Amino acid sequence: MKNQLNEDHLGRIWNWRITMVAGLILLSVALLGVSFGPIGLSFPKIIKTLLGGSNGLQGQERVLLLQLRLPRVILAALVGAALSTSGAVYQTVFRNPLADPYLLGAASGAGLGATLAITSSGGNVYGLLPIFSFVGGILAVLTTFFISGKFFAEPNSLLLSGIAVGSFGTAVQTYLQQRHSSALRPVYSWILGELTVANWQVVKWSSLYIISSILILISVSKQLDGLMLSDEESFSLGINPNKLRIIAVAAATLATATAVAASGLIGFVGIVVPHLVRGITHRVTNRSLATIAMAGAAFLVLADLGARTLLSPAELPIGVITAFVGAPFFLVVLRKRRVTQ
Amino acid sequence: MKFSKGHIALFALATIAVSYPSQAQASRSGEKFPVIVNSGGYETKILKIPHRIISLSPTATENLFAIGAGEQVIEVDSLSNYPSNAPISKLSAFTPNVEAIAAKKPDLVILSVDSTNSKSVKKSLEMLKIAVLMEKAPNQISDAYSEIAAIGKATDKVANASALIAKMKRTIKAIVVSSRKASPISFFHELDSTLYTATSSTFIGKVYADFNLANIADKAQGADSSGYPQLSQEYLVIANPQIIFLSDAQYGESADTVSKRAGWSGISAVTNAHVVSLPADIPSRWGPRLIDFYRFISQSIAKIS
Amino acid sequence: MIQAKDLTVRIGERTILNHIDLVIQPEKWTCLVGPNGAGKTTFLRALLGVLPYSGSLTEGGVEVFHSQKRNVAFVPQQPQIPLGMSVTEYVMMGRAKKDGWGRESIAGRRFVHKVLEQTQLYGLHNQHVSRLSGGEMQRALIARALAQEPEVILLDEPTSALDLHHQISTLNNIELLKERGVTIISTMHDITLAAMYAEEIVVMQDGNVLLHGPAHSVIHSSELREAFDNRINVFTLDSGRPVIVAAKENLI
Repeated sequence: MKNQLNEDHLGRIWNWRITMVAGLILLSVALLGVSFGPIGLSFPKIIKTLLGGSNGLQGQERVLLLQLRLPRVILAALVGAALSTSGAVYQTVFRNPLADPYLLGAASGAGLGATLAITSSGGNVYGLLPIFSFVGGILAVLTTFFISGKFFAEPNSLLLSGIAVGSFGTAVQTYLQQRHSSALRPVYSWILGELTVANWQVVKWSSLYIISSILILISVSKQLDGLMLSDEESFSLGINPNKLRIIAVAAATLATATAVAASGLIGFVGIVVPHLVRGITHRVTNRSLATIAMAGAAFLVLADLGARTLLSPAELPIGVITAFVGAPFFLVVLRKRRVTQ
Repeated sequence: MKFSKGHIALFALATIAVSYPSQAQASRSGEKFPVIVNSGGYETKILKIPHRIISLSPTATENLFAIGAGEQVIEVDSLSNYPSNAPISKLSAFTPNVEAIAAKKPDLVILSVDSTNSKSVKKSLEMLKIAVLMEKAPNQISDAYSEIAAIGKATDKVANASALIAKMKRTIKAIVVSSRKASPISFFHELDSTLYTATSSTFIGKVYADFNLANIADKAQGADSSGYPQLSQEYLVIANPQIIFLSDAQYGESADTVSKRAGWSGISAVTNAHVVSLPADIPSRWGPRLIDFYRFISQSIAKIS
Repeated sequence: MIQAKDLTVRIGERTILNHIDLVIQPEKWTCLVGPNGAGKTTFLRALLGVLPYSGSLTEGGVEVFHSQKRNVAFVPQQPQIPLGMSVTEYVMMGRAKKDGWGRESIAGRRFVHKVLEQTQLYGLHNQHVSRLSGGEMQRALIARALAQEPEVILLDEPTSALDLHHQISTLNNIELLKERGVTIISTMHDITLAAMYAEEIVVMQDGNVLLHGPAHSVIHSSELREAFDNRINVFTLDSGRPVIVAAKENLI
């Protein structure tokens, strides 16, 4: 053994073939997503239409595929990628396997923003809502940083102030809902998560923010591993932990706020998917971020497919599906933790 | 037989009388469509008389059938339980699924503005070349009449719609005139057992107001912007309404359960047995059965002086 | 050469290091000793470059604060142990300092392989770090430090949590670094062990340096006894090895 200084005995940190497999899975799932629904479409024609061929779907069916289903599937993929990537990054930054992208108050801030939009605009909500919830989410996270005292703050105090900000935001939101009962239904359905508003416009602006955030996170993903150590250790290894944490949290928050603005509050994706990928690949390293992004995308596309078809003709809120999958999953993670400790 | 002038006049009148409807029919289908209908704050263009209507609003369903457009309806939502011969389906009025609706190939969909993402659903359906008529919950009775008129225009049943509106106006006026109290009677309209109620700014509040009933909820006017505040038990007891209307009777509340509530036994409505269970659905629909609602209120307050 | 001139470190309202003047010799093993609260760990952290200070603290003439130009390994007393990471990945993080994050090379991997063998960790290389015993964890920390090929290595109480056998083997591993010309600076409670391995000893008390010099002379000095309020006894074994123990009589 001593003479065989073969580095393969040590194994690579990350196998890029896994990323490729994830990509293929995403493509197949996306294809499934556009192919199924209450209206049946001929599969070969779907392919032809997507590839721009001439013998594809026409008329109503064509509109259905290209204007309704396709943007919805793409939005689901974007949101799933955003949430799973942010979740994975937060789990590293906060050294907590149960961290999720809504940890620093982003969810309640976005919810408050959405409620404000709904209660103040009367009828014409949908133009304002994404902007309000986006700004709300970001302001909430900024407030969390501000309250926790310094501009970087160590993870535990950030967590605590995140809880404080979150509780406050929820309280204000509840008050507003009490005073404007007509807002209850729209806010409630927004909270459950909805991709039904998907159209190409939403896809355009959300993809801009989500894709840039994910790319930023992937570019620092290797250093993120260093954040799993104490600040002194990571400093000695050439990392600036404060700066890295700020960049990571900022990018992750941007992605999360965009996802929430585009499609409401969809829970559990940020926790379930990173653990799923890490469990399958047996690697906690952040090199897996690209894979986690694609897995998250595939996960949400599938969940959305369920939302559209399981209770057809009603729409099942997608938050219900992710919760049904996520809650038992949580229990499994907790049990595994106890076993390790 | 010689035709006198009188005969000719009669004959002419008869011919006109017989041919007028079919002439009007011909001109209606020839000239009236496409129509642009204003409803729920939206404009809808309908190209031809719709014969495959999907109604996702229980009130719209009642209106459609009341004006004789029932045969043009292919499906109604899962909550549209009246009339009983309406083609009820599993379609959801609150969370409409665009594809599920489109799969049935309707030519007109009637959608409530309050349903989830109604605006986006409308847009998507219109992208699929399906006309969408929007319904908005009324704020006053004239809104309810406008809805009937709009549905009449959309389904080529304008005359029937006008007739229905006229009948409703007449009947309701008669009921109100005969039952309206000279001096106001205080009342409480209960939405649920946690004492949510409706003020006079709401549609239902205005119905009650027609009878010169005094709504104890009006003191809490500003508490909820849409007019549905929650009252406290204490206030209720102090306000001491003479009559209580239970909108939650379909969920198990009754004069019996109400009288057993702590502190309620002394309330005037309870001691005088004026706790009234409203029939299911009627208070939440604003179609032709509005007449029944008025009648019901009239009967309920008749015994009170 | 590491030099502290009038070095003062304040944390909050307390002054932890008080106008320290000190020169640490390169390529030697210097050990900081003294009672709790003397400022040993703080000095180590200042040397790492993560603490702001007034005065001057330089390595090779360059102020150390936030300087990433140096290659300094840090072995903390209580490391943050990541969950789910294998020993290999853990030690490879040390390599990242040398090669750059994400730029593993075959040569780098070979180096890590060698380090794992040196520290007797090769058999555990796929084991999760969180499942290592105390002694194994210490070896992993040292392996990681070795992997980054540092110029300076800072060790905070490297032996305090270990049993006797592991204490010796850990210190032996650290001694390996001397072959490579690494400057070793450690803090230790166990002065006997310090005397066995360190070439230079710095005695600290209340944020001040009482004495700094070659181990054998510092051990027998009065300053050492002063630092511990005269509550220690220094004995010499027949072999010449000093043994420092707490004195029982003065404990009242």
